Amino acid sequence: MKTALDRLEGVLQGRGVSRRTFLARCARAAAASSLALPAARALAEPPEAGPREGAGAKGKHDLVVAKGSDPGAITRKAIEAMGGMRRFVKPGAVVVVKPNMAWDRVPEQAGNTNPAVMAALVALCLEAGAKRVNVFDRPCNDRKRVYDRSGIKAAVEEKGAKVYFVDDWNAVKAKFASESPMAGWPLFRDAVECDTLINVPVLKHHDLTELTLSMKNLMGVCLGDRGEIHGGIGAKLADLTAFLKPDLTVIDAFRVLTAHGPSGGDLKDVAARKTVIVGTDFVLADAFAADFAGVSPANVPYIAEASTRGYGSADLKGARIRSLGG
Amino acid sequence: MPARPLVVLRRLSQIAWTAFFVYVLWSTTYPLTGGVSPNVLFAGDPLIVGISSIAGRLVVDYWWIALVFLVLTALLGRFFCGWVCPLGFCSDAAARLRPSRRRVFPPAAEWRPVKYAILALLVLAAVFGLQLAWVLDPIVIAARFVSLNLIPAIVTSTDRAFAWAIPRFGWYGAPLDFYRWLKGGLLGVNAHLFGHSIVIFAVFALIVLAAAIARRFWCRVLCPLGALYALAARRPFLRRVVRGCSECGTCHDVCRMAAIAEGERYDPAECILCLDCVYDCPVSGTAFSFTRPVPATAGAVVAVSADAETAPSHSGTVTRGQFLELVAGAAAALGPGRSLASVLAPGTPTAPEPAEPIRPPGALPEARFVDRCIRCGNCMKVCVTNVLQPCVTEGGWEGVWTPRLVPEAGYCEYHCTLCGQVCPVRAIEPLAEERKQKVRIGLAWFDHALCIPWAGDRECIVCQEHCPVPEKAIKLETVVVRGKRIKRPRVDAKLCIGCGICTFKCPVRPRRAVTVYTEAQWHRVDAAESL
Repeated sequence: MKTALDRLEGVLQGRGVSRRTFLARCARAAAASSLALPAARALAEPPEAGPREGAGAKGKHDLVVAKGSDPGAITRKAIEAMGGMRRFVKPGAVVVVKPNMAWDRVPEQAGNTNPAVMAALVALCLEAGAKRVNVFDRPCNDRKRVYDRSGIKAAVEEKGAKVYFVDDWNAVKAKFASESPMAGWPLFRDAVECDTLINVPVLKHHDLTELTLSMKNLMGVCLGDRGEIHGGIGAKLADLTAFLKPDLTVIDAFRVLTAHGPSGGDLKDVAARKTVIVGTDFVLADAFAADFAGVSPANVPYIAEASTRGYGSADLKGARIRSLGG
Repeated sequence: MPARPLVVLRRLSQIAWTAFFVYVLWSTTYPLTGGVSPNVLFAGDPLIVGISSIAGRLVVDYWWIALVFLVLTALLGRFFCGWVCPLGFCSDAAARLRPSRRRVFPPAAEWRPVKYAILALLVLAAVFGLQLAWVLDPIVIAARFVSLNLIPAIVTSTDRAFAWAIPRFGWYGAPLDFYRWLKGGLLGVNAHLFGHSIVIFAVFALIVLAAAIARRFWCRVLCPLGALYALAARRPFLRRVVRGCSECGTCHDVCRMAAIAEGERYDPAECILCLDCVYDCPVSGTAFSFTRPVPATAGAVVAVSADAETAPSHSGTVTRGQFLELVAGAAAALGPGRSLASVLAPGTPTAPEPAEPIRPPGALPEARFVDRCIRCGNCMKVCVTNVLQPCVTEGGWEGVWTPRLVPEAGYCEYHCTLCGQVCPVRAIEPLAEERKQKVRIGLAWFDHALCIPWAGDRECIVCQEHCPVPEKAIKLETVVVRGKRIKRPRVDAKLCIGCGICTFKCPVRPRRAVTVYTEAQWHRVDAAESL
């Protein structure tokens, strides 16, 4: 104790080293840190990556539409009706459950995905044997506020998910097999390199695209300046979603935003539809959701483009749809 | 036991108080759960409390903390300067880089009254309603440095270090998880960058470097808070007493405040209780004890210090090589300040500057705002989007370093009310959320020559997408251009509150297609455009 205090006193009195040594150390540290700064500025160019390899699993039905008053429960029922989460999540898989967690709004305002729906999905993935379930988004408002006030961070962490912010530098550049307006766009690496991707948008009105649904939701894994995506948005979102190949699309229509989307704010614009829509064909899921919201799927630019490009089917009449509840 | 137990204790006290200071400022960020309000740091500063109260004719929150410090100073002497002040700690640390503790730059002894003159000027200005404490108050100078230089430099450089190392070495496992955990917590202060911060850094650096050349130069010659505490400490109960003095003059040489004439004669108003004289006395005759106060012998101290025999010669200065090392170390380690242009994306000139700066919601009217504001940096530090930046000339000379919104750097988050909560002098009133959302700080203005759907036939409306006002303060009109139906944005001047998110998200470069003007200027521009 005595020697420790003496040594502490020596250090505090600068007696530990000679002046020359001390100054030399300062200079070395300064030189080292001043070298680190330019090196850090020259961050490596992100590597290219081809389309995500989805699990390609098919569900028991084309679509399952579950209605009820408990959002978590109807999500579970819908997944069970689809054949269970084990169809889509293999043991030891790394799963990304990608919500709409973009806006500084509380769940009642329907600006983000319902936290209970997210919690149910995370629990199902872990029950199916997933090694890790990652939940993230790249918000439009301040990310700490959004993660807290959306209620999603707390709800999914309670179930065991890993929640974190998107790293702006951690990208892979999208490499398409054929020409695409999204070629070379930096995407968040974790979304491309996961074993299973579950896309969980919330149904909202949107002035540019009429509605924001699952294809629009994947803008949240795009890095860079997303404002540029707005020109010719239909084709870009269609290509983006096809590149990411979500294994499961779960559209939260429990509370929907009927006007002044996508940020909303006024509770008068929120309608309680108490429904969750689940499908493996993202085009079909979006088409059904559009129709559900009273909008013709042809009027939603990315549904039209995706259907034209053959990424999925928008044919609601020919689809095998299972309805639960209500 | 260490040879100098009380000196060790003093240094630990300085470290602890400085660490506390940095901790409180570090936790001045959403969601403000640091446990201690940053306002307390300034409420404990009698200069800020006194000058703000006189000039602003107001009562500062937690003012009694300053009173506690003053009363303790009257009893104990200038312990604040020696045991608490963060700028004093930095001054002492800088002096460590000098080899000898004995050199004191000669003219400083005669210059000591300057700090009283500065204090008198501040009080006089305050009586006439002008608050100038922000220029030379040490707590505010230290706070600006910590909030606008130190913390951003640490956070940014740590973030960049990980961003470089992880892809370089392929550390996508535990190190990446650790980095993400940091970003969610300690490093989650949104890596703010501030324009003009190099000047703020320069002020702090000059004071600290001056201390390396002449110990405690700022404290002895310039500090108005030191002057205030000196006035309070003229007859303390804790006094320095000497027995069996051998008149060797060691204490006089060693005193970093040049407070000791010789032997027993010292000026308690200048003594900061560093206790070096106690341990350096060769006959161990010096001690501090509680006695009845006796009149100070200030006049004698000044006369003796001016004596040519005891004044050291030029050999007390730092060599050029050492000076350059200090500068390099400070600059590289603490991060360079940035001009506003480099804070924004490269090659982004801001819009033609508005005539008046946009102030945060809850700010006092302009003239009273620039007077009340103590430029502590709390609001800029806490602002979640980094939109608050220090003025250079936008607020006039009287508005230097007051906060203004720069929507190219951020925007005013609709549900956030943090800036008013951390303003120690209520230059920004704390507003409840519902009230804040109705305060108009400016109005958005579209430049139709730059705006994508106005100037061409492509879709955009990123601005309208982000408008937080529930009824949308940007309305869309659908037109057909070259056979395509596109939507064009238009501001609803009755709803827009000037938060600036439209400007921030606008993808047009180098100048945004939408900008925020003060309400008055917006109407002037609107009237001019309609002609």
